[in-house]
Amino acid sequence: MSLQSARQSSFLARFLADPADPIFRSLAFAAATMLLVTLGGLIIALIIGGWPALSKFGLSFLFTNSWNPVTEVYGAAGPIVGTLITALLSLAIALPIAVCVSVFLTQYCPKVIAQPISTAIELLAGIPSIVYGMWGLFVFAPWFAKTVQLPILTNLDPESFWGKLLSGVPNGANIFTASIVLAIMILPYMAAVFRELFRSIPPHVREAAFGLGCTSFEVVGSVLIPYVKKGMIGVVMLGFGRALGETMAVTFIIGNSHRFPDSLFASGSTLASTIANEFNEAQGLHLASLIGLGLVLFLITFIVLAIARTLLSSQRY
Amino acid sequence: MSDTETEFKSVITPPPGDQIVLETRKLNFFYGTHQSLFDVSIPVKRNGITALIGPSGCGKSTLLRTMNRMYDLYPGQRAEGEILIDGENIVGSKVDVTALRAKVGMVFQKPTPFPMSIYDNVAFGVKLYHKKSKSEMDEVVETSLRRAALWDEVKDKLNKSGLSLSGGQQQRLCVARGIAVQPEILLLDEPASALDPVSTAKLEDTLEELKRDITIIIVTHNLQQAARLSDYTGFMYLGKLIEFGPTETLFVNPKCEKTSDYIGGRFG
Repeated sequence: MSLQSARQSSFLARFLADPADPIFRSLAFAAATMLLVTLGGLIIALIIGGWPALSKFGLSFLFTNSWNPVTEVYGAAGPIVGTLITALLSLAIALPIAVCVSVFLTQYCPKVIAQPISTAIELLAGIPSIVYGMWGLFVFAPWFAKTVQLPILTNLDPESFWGKLLSGVPNGANIFTASIVLAIMILPYMAAVFRELFRSIPPHVREAAFGLGCTSFEVVGSVLIPYVKKGMIGVVMLGFGRALGETMAVTFIIGNSHRFPDSLFASGSTLASTIANEFNEAQGLHLASLIGLGLVLFLITFIVLAIARTLLSSQRY
Repeated sequence: MSDTETEFKSVITPPPGDQIVLETRKLNFFYGTHQSLFDVSIPVKRNGITALIGPSGCGKSTLLRTMNRMYDLYPGQRAEGEILIDGENIVGSKVDVTALRAKVGMVFQKPTPFPMSIYDNVAFGVKLYHKKSKSEMDEVVETSLRRAALWDEVKDKLNKSGLSLSGGQQQRLCVARGIAVQPEILLLDEPASALDPVSTAKLEDTLEELKRDITIIIVTHNLQQAARLSDYTGFMYLGKLIEFGPTETLFVNPKCEKTSDYIGGRFG
């Protein structure tokens, strides 16, 4: 008997003796394969569904800004830029706060207070986005319009740089308020994971840094944050991904205008909010264009993931 | 255990008075309400190696961690009594703890390289206190690594991550980082317990070399290490300093029964 046939027969014998292991293995394999098949199916469905729009407009679908169901001309530049700006802005707001919150919780905070704050963070992370959206539309936007936008409109020279940057209809529904609501939404998630990252640092490392005569600030800034940098990049990218795709809250508050956003306080739209708003009534080329938006959103998310991967592998320590 | 056994008379044979750099007086230490050091008075000789031995939980690490106020990091831990370094009491709220820790360095049981290059690990502490030019810093890094007996192994890869080194090399890197800031005293908390015998021997050579101008206090579980390495040894038991004296006397001719039981391997 050759070695191979001996091995085969013993494999068969093993299967007959104990079928659980091979069955479990194939189940696990099937589950993993399903994931790939679903992903592939999704991409194909998006391409097929969006094809009428993509073939008609070509690359100009990405670079022109026009969204006109009457003349049937669609270009996604406005929603694309709106998506990127709101996501980046919300990240810029949420990231420093999340770092501060997690550093405070793990380094300075007495245990008595740390527990309630941690619970609050987890609760905030669990609130459905539509609740944030309603709060944004009915509470935050009116407040913002009255206390921030109106004074700015009346006091700033509209021709100056700041005047242009901060111009817009004073109703509070704009790109900036949407970014703030988004920031509030991704903040608890990022803070919670950052906290876990900081907790995972061995106490010895912190003591060693203090042992050299570092101040708290130097310990956190020069040792602890570099220690968890890799994990933080991953979390930031996940938070960014969530901000890119967040739909309901943004749809409530961004103002849903297809104009190309020309100021921070201008109403705008994102890819997801446009789809959510118009899917119901769209047909033909309009529907295909919406599916095209979905494909673009998918691609942006993919690019973000790719960037995250590259960043991670370029970290040496 | 009889009553006479729980009451120990401590026997302290201090080094000559003018050679003492650090001294604790009636030091008591508390983790919350639990007291773990009782009236410890230990004199430490300048530019020598002092070893602290004793069974687990006897308070030797706790004693070490009072000497650079590491306990400050943890609410609820506090010390009472006096710790004199060059005649200055470091227990109390008026002490500049960061300056103290620059003067009293520490190396831990597990290697603790920071997530940066080998070069930056050594330069890290120096940068906190001095602005140095590139060439001056190069010199400090090289000298420190040489004194830690690591230079020859890492001189061609100073830009590699400190975490890429082996355990023994990482520990010597931590020693280099500690001595780069030119401390007066270096505390070592079981520095060799995670190392193989070869790395341990290298580390011990390093310490022998360093003691010319740095006072070294080392906590160790390894009695042979204490006997080989140290000039003075303190034996601790249940939070008390039972016996302290020249290493040779303490190992060859211990004055307390508890000490001879411990070094004779009858408990521990």
